[in-house]
Amino acid sequence: MTEVKIDPRASDWARMSLPDRALLQYEVEQFFYDEAALLDARRYRDWLALIADDIHYWMPIRRTVTMSDLDREFTKPGDMAFFDDDRELLEMRVKKLEAGSAWSEDPPSRSRHFVSNVRITDVAGDEITCDVAFHLYRTRLESEVDSWVGRRTDVLRREGGGFRIAKRHLFLDQTLIRATNMSTLF
Amino acid sequence: MADGGAGAERWDRAAIQSLFDPESGWLDRRVLSDEALYRLELERIFARGWNFMCHESQIPNPGDYFINYIGEDQVICVRDEEGRVNVLLNTCRHRGNALCRAEQGRAKSFVCSYHGWNYGLDGRLIGVPGQKTYYRDDFDRGALGLVKAAQVDSYLGFYFATMAADAPPLADYLGDVGRTGLGMICSFGEVEVIDGIQKNVIGCNWKIAVDNLFDWYHVMYSHASANSSGIFNAAAILHPNEQMVMLGEFGHAISGPGVPADVQAQIDLMSDEERTTASFGRDMARARPRRASELMGASGVRSMGHPNIFPNLWITLGGLQICLRLPRGPLRTEIWWFTLMPKGAPPHFRERALRTAIHLFGPAGLLEQDDGENWSQSTRSSIGVASRKLGQALKMGLGHDQVTTDAAGQRFIDTCVNEHGQRWLYRSWTEWMAARDWAELIAHHSAPPTGVV
Repeated sequence: MTEVKIDPRASDWARMSLPDRALLQYEVEQFFYDEAALLDARRYRDWLALIADDIHYWMPIRRTVTMSDLDREFTKPGDMAFFDDDRELLEMRVKKLEAGSAWSEDPPSRSRHFVSNVRITDVAGDEITCDVAFHLYRTRLESEVDSWVGRRTDVLRREGGGFRIAKRHLFLDQTLIRATNMSTLF
Repeated sequence: MADGGAGAERWDRAAIQSLFDPESGWLDRRVLSDEALYRLELERIFARGWNFMCHESQIPNPGDYFINYIGEDQVICVRDEEGRVNVLLNTCRHRGNALCRAEQGRAKSFVCSYHGWNYGLDGRLIGVPGQKTYYRDDFDRGALGLVKAAQVDSYLGFYFATMAADAPPLADYLGDVGRTGLGMICSFGEVEVIDGIQKNVIGCNWKIAVDNLFDWYHVMYSHASANSSGIFNAAAILHPNEQMVMLGEFGHAISGPGVPADVQAQIDLMSDEERTTASFGRDMARARPRRASELMGASGVRSMGHPNIFPNLWITLGGLQICLRLPRGPLRTEIWWFTLMPKGAPPHFRERALRTAIHLFGPAGLLEQDDGENWSQSTRSSIGVASRKLGQALKMGLGHDQVTTDAAGQRFIDTCVNEHGQRWLYRSWTEWMAARDWAELIAHHSAPPTGVV
């Protein structure tokens, strides 16, 4: 699925030279690897520093539907979702994890955040839109194993020499969530 | 009709009754893990009882369908051309293949992907490829329609179905407590389901998930981190010394915070307009309008707690969400969350209510995240030879409380945090499990108690 836009304001990516594209691709991928390392190391406060004040962190509900019904495969914004968070809610999630009584994460989960298939689809001024494949692997206690795979659309914004995440929309490949909970951050 | 009762030989009436002792609150841990008991539950509880299927707003038009379960039997809940809701077993009468493989949608008819048998929205077999050529017209289509639930009925727009022809009518089955629970959902007006049913699976027995909804003892401890995150204020909601319990026919119950009778008496004198701003210095759900007393009864309207329609339909957040706990073997349960909204709710109300629904419950909810492991580890400890012999101790409040009956006959208990709801659930469970058919259950089940409990 290509999402290259015609909007002239959004055509920077299309006009960029190959070396410039390669550099930006490198920069974006390194950012995602560093971000994943923070989450895997449970450095949630440091992760929050990468989150823009106007973030929309959203995971709609996916359904098994027929081909004729594919436009209803995911719930729409404003309907039910698994995550529909602004910055305040993400801060609450981190506060909960730090509370010392977040039993679903104490003993803590062991997680590995993988990102791949990073495709920059749009560059508009300070904002870079990416389409990313992710795999979050988690084990808990003695024998719990969870694995979430999906696609996400991120918007990264250049701020003070680095990036901040201004949007993260997560589209899981599961319909029935095959896990006790989703107490980790994606 | 008496069932065949897989497991009925090993678990006879006396053996089942020994699994829970209402006099001491002792619960045999095998109820959470025994395979034969689980098989018997599928027959004697799920196939026999009235199961929640869907809300009318999920399938408004002919052909709209939603897939649900009666125990482990998958069913299609579909509205037909006449506007009737049918509940059909999702299995082709030829070779058993599933007809519907999407979890919701719209269909003109249901065509089997195996050999193309075609069924109408009312379950009639309307087309069989090769009926003339291969079957040589030696075939009775009328005898091979989709199997329908024995009874389908609705209350306040909530559809239920049972596989038992001898089950009492839905309204009788629900009784006062079941009707009060569903009335709670509609107390601010007619509702509709918001698009998106959250579904996840937990490695626990379905009953421990159910009995936890009566448990207001765990809130301060299990959910301490959600409390300190700022997402909710447990102290403002919990009111541990103002709890209200209602125990109903066939195992239904409501347990949780209750508005004290003297506060409700003041609310009763107010107009609906005045009620929208009344708080009485407490952060309770909004004072309910007058119509709520008609739906929930003069005493039931005080409940801010959790109803459960036996066996597995939990109503929470003052009726904003309902949750099904679907059995998937003794050690696995699917959790399905439905979110409801008063029709025509203003955008700011809807937005705030959805924020609450998404962020408290569901697998990523800040409250519910911490429930699943308690349930799976408690289930797991019902398997080991030594630990399963220990039983569980459901003793809180036993023998210390009094049932009151109001002028209209509603029965309730005003008390502090307690385990009456859990005891009533397991007591009723033993009665359902010991009875071989509806006649036996009706003859032998406990009436909602009076006096000291």
